[in-house]
Formats: sequence, structure tokens, C-alpha cells
Amino acid sequence: VSTKRILLSLLAALLPALAQAQGISGNLVLYTSQPNTDAQQTVDAFKAKYPEVSISFVRDGTPKILAKLSAEFEAGQPQADVLLIADSVTMEGLKKEGRLLAHEKADVSAYPAGTHDPQKFWFSTKLITTGIVYNTKAAFKPTSWLDLTKPEVKGQLVMPSPLASGAALIHAATLTGNLDGGWKYYEELKDNDAMAGGGNGDVLKQVAGGQKLYGIIVDYMPIREKAKGAPVEFVFPKEGVSAVTEPVAILKGTKNPEAARAFVDFLLSKEGQELALKQGYIAAHPAVALPVGYPPRDQIRVMGFDAAKALADETRNKAAFAEIFGQ
Amino acid sequence: VRDRADTKSFLERGGFGLPALIVLAIAAFDVLPAARLLLTALAPKGVLDAGPMLFALVSRAAVNAGRASLETAFFSTLLALPLGTVMALVLGITDIRRRHVASFLFVLSLMISPQVVALAFLHLAGPASPILITLGLAPEPGSANPMLGRGGIILILGLHHAPLVYVVMSAGLKRIPLAVIEAARVDGAIPLRIVTDHLLPLMRPHLMSAGLLAFVAGIGNFGIPALLGTPVNYLTLPVLIYRRLSSFGTGMLGDVAALGLFVAALAIVCVAASQVLARRGDVLLDEDAPLHPFWRLGCTRTAAEIFVSAVIALTLLLPLLSLFASALVPSYGMPLNLSTITLDHFVEVVARQDVTVRAFTNSLVYAGAAACLLAGLAIPMAYGLVRLMGPSRILATALLEISYVLPGIVLAIACILLLLKPLPVIGISLYGTPWIIVFAYLARFQPVVLKPVLAGMAQIDMAQEEAAALDGAHLARRLKDIILPSLLPAAVAGGLIAFLLAFSELTVSTLLWSAGTETIGVVLYSLEEAGLASQASAVAIVIVAVVTLAMLALDALGRHLPAGTLPWHCPAEGAALSVREADRRGLEPESSGLAEARPALST
Repeated sequence: VSTKRILLSLLAALLPALAQAQGISGNLVLYTSQPNTDAQQTVDAFKAKYPEVSISFVRDGTPKILAKLSAEFEAGQPQADVLLIADSVTMEGLKKEGRLLAHEKADVSAYPAGTHDPQKFWFSTKLITTGIVYNTKAAFKPTSWLDLTKPEVKGQLVMPSPLASGAALIHAATLTGNLDGGWKYYEELKDNDAMAGGGNGDVLKQVAGGQKLYGIIVDYMPIREKAKGAPVEFVFPKEGVSAVTEPVAILKGTKNPEAARAFVDFLLSKEGQELALKQGYIAAHPAVALPVGYPPRDQIRVMGFDAAKALADETRNKAAFAEIFGQ
Repeated sequence: VRDRADTKSFLERGGFGLPALIVLAIAAFDVLPAARLLLTALAPKGVLDAGPMLFALVSRAAVNAGRASLETAFFSTLLALPLGTVMALVLGITDIRRRHVASFLFVLSLMISPQVVALAFLHLAGPASPILITLGLAPEPGSANPMLGRGGIILILGLHHAPLVYVVMSAGLKRIPLAVIEAARVDGAIPLRIVTDHLLPLMRPHLMSAGLLAFVAGIGNFGIPALLGTPVNYLTLPVLIYRRLSSFGTGMLGDVAALGLFVAALAIVCVAASQVLARRGDVLLDEDAPLHPFWRLGCTRTAAEIFVSAVIALTLLLPLLSLFASALVPSYGMPLNLSTITLDHFVEVVARQDVTVRAFTNSLVYAGAAACLLAGLAIPMAYGLVRLMGPSRILATALLEISYVLPGIVLAIACILLLLKPLPVIGISLYGTPWIIVFAYLARFQPVVLKPVLAGMAQIDMAQEEAAALDGAHLARRLKDIILPSLLPAAVAGGLIAFLLAFSELTVSTLLWSAGTETIGVVLYSLEEAGLASQASAVAIVIVAVVTLAMLALDALGRHLPAGTLPWHCPAEGAALSVREADRRGLEPESSGLAEARPALST
């Protein structure tokens, strides 16, 4: 065997990998509900790997991203190639409307069933739970969802609105399905002068800043702010937490399916999952460790919820919440 | 003065191109959007049916929001009216020093967009306020931020609109004949009595006009209630419209069109009434000398100067300090001192984050493009309106104002309705492209640019043009050689004012942006909404810097402009207001112009 042939076969073995990184270029637009800084980091990490792709992102709460998308569908000008939004229920809805493009070659061997669509239309990237946050100066420390209806919390609770946050919509669907009395729980929160305003970022700002002492919020925000020195503590309530999985999907109208697939592959790769860990999220990949500040994976109790029902009831749930909190 | 009816120049006859341009602009920027809105609100399914509209108007949320809008607008007017009036009197009739600087700074606080002002005051109070924490004055954790909710909105709207009242009242003061004051003086009245017995009664129509404008501005304001009301769920109509459309999507267009129509009707009635009142209050005859400062304050002058400084500190300095404090701390809620001070947020927003950098570029480009296009259009349009339209120009100038009088959020809905579906002939939709934002800016700010140009146009003597025409110069040649040089400064000033207003606006673009076309106003709001208070403050400071620079550029241009172009120079109807007014003013012989801003004191 000549050295020439060895070199050639080596080249041949290397080529696909090289071609993969080099052949992918063009524009890619990501619509995401990740906070700005996280979205920028995600985009930067992808760019480092695929320097030929010029990727930009638009950030807003999941319901607002969806509203924007629906207007763009109507105008016949969908701008986004890839979606990275809070919950799989919304993705199911888009899949049913025929808006998504399946990525059949996606490597999901490491992921348990249920974390992605069986037909590979969407893929969960993280586990984001919703629990309780309190300002460490608060005297009363809640441990249960029902604690939030107690007089100690009166007028001091702030929560995200399902009109602004996808996680909050799933949270409402989960809680009303699991707690006795359903929507009566939210009526009790309202009677306790709870405030529902914008998204999770606003809740963090108000509780960390001491304008309110208690909040309902996604886990990673207070956990990583606590690590930076903010006076907040996150609680996994004893009944369990609700959870969303921040799935990623490709839109059918994409003008750059290759780069879109590369972006999905990147998020599902070990590297992409470790980025999630570094950002302070629970990665969807079961082998990736949890960030500091979380209990072990098997001790996090996630309440179940009926995804099909949540999808069917989406508008009704939003309206019910809006009616109670006068939005 | 030329008696126009008798000696109509041959220049004023004929010509088809320019009137066609004007009709086209009116149709595209004003009539079509308004008609589309009316159609959707009144006939959502193609048939006339007011049912859905009434239903949308009586829903619990709409009624609450309507009440919130009315009460904040009303009470903020009660605050803005006395504050702006006293400022106009102190700066307009007393011998206070440095009045030009004070006037500039007071009007600057109006030109800084409402969401920036709201952000600044929001960070000024409450337990997390960097300034209060630094001073050790922060209230207990768990106490609410007093800026949030109804009280805060009323206070900030009132402070923000006081300069608007000031601008209208100053313009009114300039229209009081000096003779009234001199007659009272001869009678031996002291200055205070002249103000209470003579000046204020004459100013009553202006006062009502200013009040109505402040009220309308309050009803249509989006930035202040969006930042101060949303966190505590106190929603005004524009915020409710935004929230419905941004959370439920275009399926809600019918409902929000109905709400929008209600707000629009309210605004149009108030603005029309205000203009009628302003005209009725006008008692200055052409040959009268206008009022100028007559009140020598003597030993109370220092007190008056302290008052003016305090008002400016409250409306401009304090909010700016608050923005700096929250932009320089590592995280909102920390004290500002030598060990915590950081420039990271500035670096983050002007260098690191793609979105903010892109948004700055976008806003510069969109506002700049709209301003240049409008300035270019303004010269032929002003010529056409003044020379070629005859009596129909009164109707034309009124129609041109529709998009300016409509609250921004309502104009945005009208633009979506108009441009969402692909355009006929070319078959593409402007929605989701930068063009929809530029289109909205063109529609909204056209009257702002046209106003000074019309004033300049009315001052051009026709004789020169007639001579050129007799020499054989065609219309294009006359426009280029005679009209253009005389109107250029006014067009540039109009363009700069439009740029100033469009650069940091949020109300229009908040519903029109999409991937890659974010404006800086949108990014500021989204950063604050995402809880990134310090980065939002850093963006706000950059916005204030750009606005201040544009204002200084305008100020430098001042002496080349028709009287009344710059509200702080020779306060006329202000940036906010009327083409007709400027037009009418411009037709009168030029008064002492800029000299009015720094008048000699009569003794």
C-alpha cells in the first residue's frame, strides 16, 4: 500500500467533516424566547463552529414570537428559519398547522423518548422548571404552591403572564390540572393581591430588587443570579414543579435548510448541551451534569400535564387567566 | 400686503404635476390608512356591522383601559397645565437671565422619547433604585415602587407634557399685542396685576388649547404607561391594544381596530377643538408690535431663576442622573460607588450585542431615510400647496395631518391592515420589511417637515419668480434656482425635527418591527421587559445623546430659519403641531423673527 493511497483515504475520511463545516453558509434567522444574553451566547457558539453562516436572532416571549410569526405567515413572508421557544405544546400546534420541517437525520440516540417529536419535527433542548422565588429578606419562606395564598404573601407575589411567557402558559395548564379546584387557585392568588405583569425577567427584577418579596419564575434565572450575589432563593415546591423543554424546530419556509439543520444538530450535540449547562440550564441530554445550585436530576419532581388538552385549551387558558387578572 | 384675490399671478394657474403629487401623498399617507382602519372597525367581514365593534368596546378589559386612559390623561393635564404656563410666563415676560438655555433644556425634555423618561423615573424610586441605595435612602424591600401604576403615570405624563403646554403658551404670548400691556402700564398697574387682569384673560383660549393638546398627548402616549403600568397591570388603551395584538396575533386586528378607532376619534376631536381655540385666541393684528418681556423682577429674579432651574432639574437632570446611575452599576439594585462602577453595559449595548448595534443602525437609517425623503418632498409640495392649489389647500393641509394626529399605535394598526396583504401589481407584502416602518414614519412625520417649509414658502416674494418666468425659466428651473435656495434651511430643519422624533420612537415601530428591523425604541422596551434594567439604561443614554446632538444642530441652524420653526427659539405651535397654523403665520409679514427670542427689555 503506497503512502499516496493512505493519504488519499485519509483525505477521503476527513472530507465529509470538512465539507460539513465549509459547505454550510448563507443567512439564518432564529426566533427565540431565550433572554438576550443567552441567545447571543448560543448564536456566538454556533457561529464559532460555522463561521460561514451569518446568523441573527429575534427575541421575545413565546406568545409574542408566535403572534409575530402568524402575522408573517399571513403576509406570506415568514422571516424565521429556526424556532427555539419555551414549550413543546406550541411546537405541536405549529406541526399540526403544517408549519414545521422534519429533520429526519437528527441524532437523538442519546435522548429518551418523549423529549422529541417521534416524527422529528421538534427536539427538546433543556428542562426548565417553574417554581417559587423569594427575596432572602423575606421572613416567610414558602415551600408549597398553596403557601402563596397565605396572608404572609398578601400583596407581595408577582408572576409572569401567559400572555407574555410560554412557560407561564404551561405552568397554568399544569397547576390547574394538578391542584384541587383548578382555576380557583388563580382566583385565590388574585384575592391575595398577586400581580401578573410581563415575563419571567420582570419577575426576577422585581423580586431581586425587593419591589416584591415572592415570585413564580423559571428556575435558571434566580439560581444563576443567586450565584452572582443577588438576594434571591429558588424553591422547588413540595407538590412538584411544572416544566417546559425549550424545543427547537425548523420552519417549513426556511430558505436555508442546511444551515437550519446544522443549528439543530449543534443544539443537540454534546457541545451544544454543555453550553446550556454553562449558561445555568438543566440540559436535556441525560449525561450532562446539572449546574451548581440544582438538586440532583432524579430529585426534581415534575408534575404531569396533558399536552393534547393544553394545546386544545390554549386560547381558553389565556382568556381565563386574562379574565381573572383583568388583562 | 398683496391683495391676492385681485392680482392672482399667472404663476398660480395651471400645472398638473405638483398638485398630483400632493393628492398622491395625501391618499397614500393619510386617507388610505384611515379608511382601511374605519373599514375594519365598522365592517369587519365586509358588511357594515357595528356589533363586533361595540362588543370590543364594552369588554371588561376595554372599559378598564378606557377609564385608565381618561383618568391619567386628565389628571396629568392638570399637572402639565400650570407648570407649563408658569414656565411660559417666567421665560416669556420677565427679565430672567439665560432664558434661551432654559428654554432649550425644557423643550429637550419633551423631545426625549417617553419610554426613556419613564425608564429614568422608574429607576429613580423604589427599593432597588441605584441612586436611593447609594444615598442610603432606599425604602424597605417589599415596598412598591411609587412610580408604578396610576400615580406614577400621571406624574410622569404631567412632567413630560409640561413643555408641550409651555410651547403652546409661549406661542400664544407672542401673539398678545404689546399695546395691551402698555395701556395697563399707563394706568399704573403693577406687573402682577397686568398678568392676572389682562394677560391671563387674553390667554384663556390658548390655555384651553394647550390643555386639550396635553390631554390628547396623554391619551395617545404609549411609552410611559407601557413601562409604568404594565408591571402592575394598570393598562391604558394604547397598551391594551399593543398587548392584544402582540400576544394574540393578527387574529385580533378587528378588535384592536375598534379600540383604535375610539382613541383616534377622541384625538381628532380634541386636536380640532384645540386649533379652533388657538385661532380664536389670536388677537394680534399685523401692524401690532408683539409682546416682549416687560416685568423687571428686581430682587425676586433670583427666586424665579431658582424656580426655573428646579423645574429643569426635575424634568431633565434628575431622570438623566437616574439613567446614569442604573447604567453604571453591575446589576440593578446595587449601590453605585468606586468599587462597583462599570462601563460593561455600555460596551454590551454598543459593541457586543448584535441586536442593539443593529437597532441603532436601523433607527438611524429608517429615521434618516424618512427625514431626507420628507425634506425632499416638502419643497415641491409646499410650492404646490401655496401657489397651485387655490382654496383646496385648506382641505389638503387638514388631510395631511390625519396620520400625525392619530395616536402612533393606531397608525401602526392602520399600516398593518393596509400593507399586510401583498400589494397589488408588484405582488409582494411590505410587512416584515423595513419599508413598512419607513412608510409609517413618512406618513406620521410629513406635517412636521412640511410646517417650516410652508412658513418659508409663504415668505417668498412672487415678483422674483415672475421675473424669472418672464425671462423664460420653466417651473423646474424656477424651483431649482429660486425656491430651493430659499427653502433649503427650512427643509433641513423640518427633516432634523422629523429625524429627532422618529429616531427614538417606540409607539409606531412596536407593532411593525420583525427579524432584523428592530428599532432602538423597541430594543429599549424589550430589554427593560426582559429585566435587563442596566442595559436598557445604557441604551437610553445613547438615545439621549443622539437627540441632544440633533437639537444642537437645529439650534445652530436657527438663524437661517423662518420664525417659529424651533419651539425653543421663538416658540410657535411647537414640534407637535399644525401645518395650517404655520401656514397662516407664514403668510403674515415676518415679525422680528429670532430677535423675539432674546428681546430687548422695555423700561
